[in-house]
Amino acid sequence: MPASATGIEVGKAQDGGAFVSLTGALDVRTVGAARRDLVVKLAGVLTEPLSVDASGLDSADVSGMVVLWELANGLVVPGVRATISGLRPELEAILATYPSPDEVEAAISSPAESAGIHSLGRGALSIVADVRAMVEFVGALTSALVAGLRRPRAMRWPEVLRVVEKAGVDAFPLVSFVGLLVGLIIAFEAAQPLKQLGAEVFVADAIGIIVIRELGPLITAIVIAGRSGPALAAELGMMKVNEELSALETMGLDPLRFLVVQRVVAGTLLAPVLTLYSVALGVAGGCIVMGMLGYPFAVTWAHLQGAVHPADLLVGTTKGVVFGTLVAGLACLRGLQAGDGPAAVGEAATSAVVSGIVSVFTADALFAVLTYVLKI
Amino acid sequence: MIRVEDVTIGYGERIVMSGVSFEVRRGEVFVILGGSGCGKSSLLKNLIGLQKPMKGRILVGGRDVAAAEGDERQALLRSFGVMYQSGALFGSLTVHENVRLPLDEFTDLSLRQRDVLAHTRLKMVGLGHAGRRMPSELSGGMKKRAAIARALALDPPLVFLDEPSAGLDPVTSAGLDALILDLARNFGITFVVVTHELLSIFAIADRCVMLDASRKTLVAEGKPRTLADSSEDQAVLRFFRREAEGAQTDRSQPK
Ligand SMILES: Nc1ncnc2c1ncn2[C@@H]1O[C@H](COP(=O)(O)OP(=O)(O)OP(=O)(O)O)[C@@H](O)[C@H]1O
Ligand SMILES: [Mg+2]
Repeated sequence: MPASATGIEVGKAQDGGAFVSLTGALDVRTVGAARRDLVVKLAGVLTEPLSVDASGLDSADVSGMVVLWELANGLVVPGVRATISGLRPELEAILATYPSPDEVEAAISSPAESAGIHSLGRGALSIVADVRAMVEFVGALTSALVAGLRRPRAMRWPEVLRVVEKAGVDAFPLVSFVGLLVGLIIAFEAAQPLKQLGAEVFVADAIGIIVIRELGPLITAIVIAGRSGPALAAELGMMKVNEELSALETMGLDPLRFLVVQRVVAGTLLAPVLTLYSVALGVAGGCIVMGMLGYPFAVTWAHLQGAVHPADLLVGTTKGVVFGTLVAGLACLRGLQAGDGPAAVGEAATSAVVSGIVSVFTADALFAVLTYVLKI
Repeated sequence: MIRVEDVTIGYGERIVMSGVSFEVRRGEVFVILGGSGCGKSSLLKNLIGLQKPMKGRILVGGRDVAAAEGDERQALLRSFGVMYQSGALFGSLTVHENVRLPLDEFTDLSLRQRDVLAHTRLKMVGLGHAGRRMPSELSGGMKKRAAIARALALDPPLVFLDEPSAGLDPVTSAGLDALILDLARNFGITFVVVTHELLSIFAIADRCVMLDASRKTLVAEGKPRTLADSSEDQAVLRFFRREAEGAQTDRSQPK
């Protein structure tokens, strides 16, 4: 491309105003410099009226015309509208398609987003709407689940398996890591105060109860909510954005029955398994610490057996089932609620994590009350 | 402007087409034809340099597209305007911002100038009213037109359009053809256009090439009128006469 510059000559016109004559190239590469040059050259010149002769331009393009547009609309020398002559017909036509300044203004200005109090109010409203959506979703999901379980052949088990596999593989390394560390940490922390009481050996008891009933299920659920939940939400959100969900509906297939039920069942099946696994690792971590403190494994094991009841394992596993269902269900809901456009997929994934974690802790609190009342 | 020399294109092991050679001249509107899935978009990707040919060379303005690296590649890519088949508008920007983006990034114009230019481009494709909307709020045809506006934003000397008129009504499509012709004739912009619309082909194409999926290569090159009237090739004739595959051939014969 020849990168010739724009020639700009400014002089006095016979009518007492100024004239500008343009030569050379006025295109996307040169127009910025030409504009600056023009302002410099016009400074201090008596510019009313201003006429521009463009007949000397060898090459010009659509972008280049922007300077002429500014000249003609009185935007280079404020308030002075130039008359432009000598433009080739095709450039004349381009200049004619340029909008008026007001038109541009109107086309791009958007009503400012009201922030602050308004968004707080909107937030409160949206929580109400959100809870409503959740309740409706639970209702619809339950009926779809029941329908699915009644006709197991329509359940699409391969899909369930695929999701279990995918989500399981996704979460496995993290669950392993966190599970083991939780056991180690709890054991170390509990060892200090118990040692002062001369009851160091009861670390095993503490580990058993805390990890199996409380932290194992909770940590596992958080990992699933953080790792597998957003993946589920993003998958469904992507399908929504790509209109795959609409396609399903027009085929007469309910997305809930066709996609969501499988994922929720997968979550329900996967979470307790991962919970038991992480509990086992947590207890193992505790045993390692006990070993380091000088207690033989047999002693630790005896304490564990004495402290942990089958009911504890039952509570832990039940929590796993409930948490898994919640996390998977909410992730699917967020996916289905995704708005339009690619950004919506990311938002769906994020809100899946948030609502997953919130719901898990809420459920855990309810569990605490329930087990206390029922004395399990 | 563009020289394609004995090029083979494929993905992994699978060859999509081979032995493709042709030339695009400066300032002409060059159309790539062919059935769905024959590799038109893939060929375009190679011309732009997003994908390297498995064999052969593609020269744009005398430079090997696949071999260009670093600043040279940047400069080369910047001289292209490209509209992808799917539009590829950025979902997080408004339509206006999408069109203004290349100007924001690659020019030193003031915001007002960039706004005016972006809006003018949108007006040219008939979307002057839609600048404030998000891409997800546009129809399929509107997305295409917005993408064309973006492709033209920097007045590139070479413009690639992948099925610009697919999904457009005849009137809008004719408007687009007129725009392409105007830019090619009056501003010397070279266009490489993939299209299936016969009306459009006859309206805009100076020359065209036709690809064929079954033979995996280029089967015809020339002026559309000449090809339609006097091509010897059955596939080419079928295309221009809008005949279904196999309608003329004997179906009883085993392949
Ligand atoms: N990313 C990819 N990986 C593997 N194969 C691909 C890929 N993209 C395209 N193909 C294959 O290359 C061939 C040509 O595809 P291409 O998209 O170029 O076709 P096309 O001529 O543009 O079709 P259409 O008119 O439908 O857009 C097809 O067989 C397709 O399956
Ligand atoms: Mg294509």
